[in-house]
Amino acid sequence: MTASAAVPVLRVVDLSLRYLTRGGEVKAVQDVNFELAQGEALGLVGESGCGKTSVANCLMRLLPDNAQLVAGQVFLDGQDILPLSEDQIREYRWQRIAMVFQAAMNALDPVYKVGQQVVEAIEAHGVEPTLSLARERVAGLFRMVGLDPALMDRYPHEFSGGMRQRAVIAMALACDPRVIIADEPTTALDVIVQDRILRELKGIQQRLHMAIIYISHDIAVVAEVTDRIGVMYAGRLVEYGPTAAVFRAPLHPYTAALMGSFPSIAGEKRVLANLSGEPPNLIDPPSGCPFHPRCLHATDVCRQEIPPRVERGDQWADCWHPLEAAPALEPADNGGT
Amino acid sequence: MITPPNFPPPGSASDPPVVEVGHSRLRLLIARTRLALHSFRAGWSIFMESRIGVLSLVIIGVFAIMAVAHPILMLTIWDAETYDPVTGYAFDQVDQPSAPSWRHPLGTDPLGRDVLSQLLWSTRSEFVLGITAALVTVAIATTVGAVSAYYGGLVDVFFMRLADLIIALPGISLLIVLSALFKLNLFYLALVIGILGGFGGTAIILKSQALSIKVKPYIEAARVAGGGHFHIIFVHIIPNLLPLSLLYMMFTVTSAIFAEAVLSFLGLLDLRMSWGIMIHTANTGGYLMGGTRYWWLVVPAGASITLLCSAFYLGGRALDEVVNPRLRRRHD
Amino acid sequence: MTGYLVRRAGQMVLTLFLIFTFAFFLVQAQPGDYASFYALDPDMPPEVKDQLRASFGLDKPLWEQYLIHLKNTVTGNFGVSFGHFPRPVMDVLIERVPRTAVLFLTATVLSFYIGFFLGKAIAWRRGGVLEYTATISGATLFTVFTPAFALMMIWIFSFRLGWLPVGKFLDPLVWRHAEVTANHVFGQMLLTAFLLTVFAFLALWILRKTGRVGLTRWAGPLIAVAAVVALLLLSLSGIGGLALDILKHMILPIATLTLISFAGTMLLTRNSMLETVREDYVMAARAKGLPEKLVRDRHAARNALLPVVTSLVYSLIFAIDGSVIIEGVFSWPGTGLTLLQAVRTEDLPLVMGAMVFIGLFSLLAHLIVDVLYVYLDPRIRYQ
Repeated sequence: MTASAAVPVLRVVDLSLRYLTRGGEVKAVQDVNFELAQGEALGLVGESGCGKTSVANCLMRLLPDNAQLVAGQVFLDGQDILPLSEDQIREYRWQRIAMVFQAAMNALDPVYKVGQQVVEAIEAHGVEPTLSLARERVAGLFRMVGLDPALMDRYPHEFSGGMRQRAVIAMALACDPRVIIADEPTTALDVIVQDRILRELKGIQQRLHMAIIYISHDIAVVAEVTDRIGVMYAGRLVEYGPTAAVFRAPLHPYTAALMGSFPSIAGEKRVLANLSGEPPNLIDPPSGCPFHPRCLHATDVCRQEIPPRVERGDQWADCWHPLEAAPALEPADNGGT
Repeated sequence: MITPPNFPPPGSASDPPVVEVGHSRLRLLIARTRLALHSFRAGWSIFMESRIGVLSLVIIGVFAIMAVAHPILMLTIWDAETYDPVTGYAFDQVDQPSAPSWRHPLGTDPLGRDVLSQLLWSTRSEFVLGITAALVTVAIATTVGAVSAYYGGLVDVFFMRLADLIIALPGISLLIVLSALFKLNLFYLALVIGILGGFGGTAIILKSQALSIKVKPYIEAARVAGGGHFHIIFVHIIPNLLPLSLLYMMFTVTSAIFAEAVLSFLGLLDLRMSWGIMIHTANTGGYLMGGTRYWWLVVPAGASITLLCSAFYLGGRALDEVVNPRLRRRHD
Repeated sequence: MTGYLVRRAGQMVLTLFLIFTFAFFLVQAQPGDYASFYALDPDMPPEVKDQLRASFGLDKPLWEQYLIHLKNTVTGNFGVSFGHFPRPVMDVLIERVPRTAVLFLTATVLSFYIGFFLGKAIAWRRGGVLEYTATISGATLFTVFTPAFALMMIWIFSFRLGWLPVGKFLDPLVWRHAEVTANHVFGQMLLTAFLLTVFAFLALWILRKTGRVGLTRWAGPLIAVAAVVALLLLSLSGIGGLALDILKHMILPIATLTLISFAGTMLLTRNSMLETVREDYVMAARAKGLPEKLVRDRHAARNALLPVVTSLVYSLIFAIDGSVIIEGVFSWPGTGLTLLQAVRTEDLPLVMGAMVFIGLFSLLAHLIVDVLYVYLDPRIRYQ
């Protein structure tokens, strides 16, 4: 584990989670460890089906009925939230940890006015004593995310995609949470709006000094706005480290492949690695290193034995054949602190 | 002769020699059947997982056995004079209606006829009625649904307005008027119910399903390959509507049996015997208010109507979970 | 919204016209000559027969008869009932339509409420004992042979327990010395119920307008007090006993109709709810830390309501049919019983009148559902 200077707001220890399905047990999350200090931004990346959203849902304790927690602890402000009762966890939700949902379109209930849905969260936690104060607070939040407060009394279907995303962000901020999880916050939007909203979210996060977890399948999106990055594959964290370091020289071939799967305009043209095939079936994950069936560097040892942890400064990866420090790829402009 | 490994699209413009077509058509048929069997098996296993579905299947099976049992019993141990459901008379009993006895397991009705015989005889006509009505409904509804989805425009508007109109009409009330004014028999009743169902709500549901099939790539492929309208509708769209049609067949059976029973109970139909008529006979004789005393006059028939209707209805709902994956539970 | 209403009303008029046309030709097409039915009626004086013959153009060609009939129907003249001679069809129907409306409306509202409540409960906790019992008993009641079930209800509650009257609209013994007619008493009851409903809606609306959450809690008690006051007034007005008699006769048919029709709504709500509980906004509501009850009622169930209301048309039609059967069994003198008696006695003008009214009934129900839907779904409201 990397040592963090500040006191961690969120600490995830040895988290393992599985889903019981018709086909068998899906080992969705395995031995995930990370921590997050106040004001810090962490990115979790990986293809879909790699367990990112499962981790996020676990942090909110929003798991479907068939999910089963195998092991692990999630400390939020020093309190392990996993053993808490439903009533107790309700106090934590939104006040300590809030979420900006994937596909904001569906996260807003179509039959209520947008403002009302934010007010609802404020009322549920008694953050403001009266309705009118709650509405004033919502107006403030709307201004903060760049929405006209008059839009409070409109319905979600009257909003554009970008406006909805802003409203969902405003909703997440409603009760001053310590941690925000942004699950694919901008995937449904076009690139320009996506970029602007990400920057604004980052601005708000820094101003309010919140911790934030960005979850995305697109490593480029995360690179711009995070301090640290965790790469997930087959339910495991396979590489973790400061964003700048990971970008400069990924250790794990999977990270390199993810970086290769978006077009790079920096530097000379070169093939990083090809990512072909699908993430493995987590009911029956591959032996040894889970990435071996798709890895260009795979050898017999990868197929048979669990890879060891390789460290380079603050950065680490679980791999038998970590990549050498390759010629630097320009890190994103504001990576690193 | 070597048959090509991939099947040419049916009805394609560049037809290979005739024998080949026959051959590949056959192989196409086999492949399709195999595919259908496969999805049937998958669906079957889901269906069997639902306890309610299995229960409904068992009930329907029991009634089917009852339907078959009547002619066999009449040929073997029951003599027509005593046991005919309409003209028979139980000379062996002094009082009519008589309570269940060894010779008459469900007793006799006020006219001295064997209740069990009536019950079994009616079972067959309920099946005939239900299945005829369901077939008529499905034949009309799939065609109407596919045609309005495929052509759209005025054809669509016409059929959908018609369906709206039929939905807005209370069917039983309409059937009451029709059967009273025209003295319908079983076949015409099945036909009327089938037509009302086929042009009504079922057509709307199948049309929306057909719309989602219409935009699938293989329809476009068939069109590009030169398939005519008729070909596309009957070979590509309608077979894909069949699973959903089967579902609505189940519901039509329920409503047909129910409608027949109500109309017979009200004495409006021209039938020899049915469960509804059995209750009608008991009710007009004033035996129903005797409560449990003459239970055999109403309980077997009433329970049969309810059970068979529920069985088809619940079977339809279990089938719904097969056809509609969104309703499935994620685990068991 | 106004434009929508106007358009829907236009559609309704057109549909009603189609229903009338259908009814007319159906009656004409039945075996037996329509015109000669008048001639065979021994109760009718010859001059009346001639007058009717002229006013309905019975000796004219079919299409002319049709036009005359249409004109008469539009002006509310359905002719004279054979069975209730010399009462005009319209007079018979005006007396009976409200009786059906009360039976039907009360049962529909009750069964919708019960069905929705149970449906959301069984969808929220799947696989429990409640789900199996509710699904099986609901489906059984839904598919139960209605007449047999109604007779069973009569047998249990009237014969065995003796709590409620057997059927019909009123008890002649109670009304022997009554100075007012049943229609007057029933009218007063309807008026009371109507005023009470208006009051309840107004009270809720005003309390909600104030914007204070605490105040809406008083709506329930307030409406209850109003109901008690209204009942007191009704009983003090001297017709209380008579009203009570009618009310007693209403309970069993309404209960029966409610029991057979709630399951449709219940099963629909369950299916609809199973879809909405997977929506992101339900997860968002839970993530916001709302209590489970609010997540269920305010978000999952509120959205599940939309498709249920769309399908409410089917339930209403089912209930209209159900009420015809129930009226038949309970001898409740409403439109349904009128239709049944009319077809049995071949009272053709009354058959036509009852058909048109039942059609009107279902169209109105349809319209109400559509308007309700527009009100419930903002995506449609603001188009």
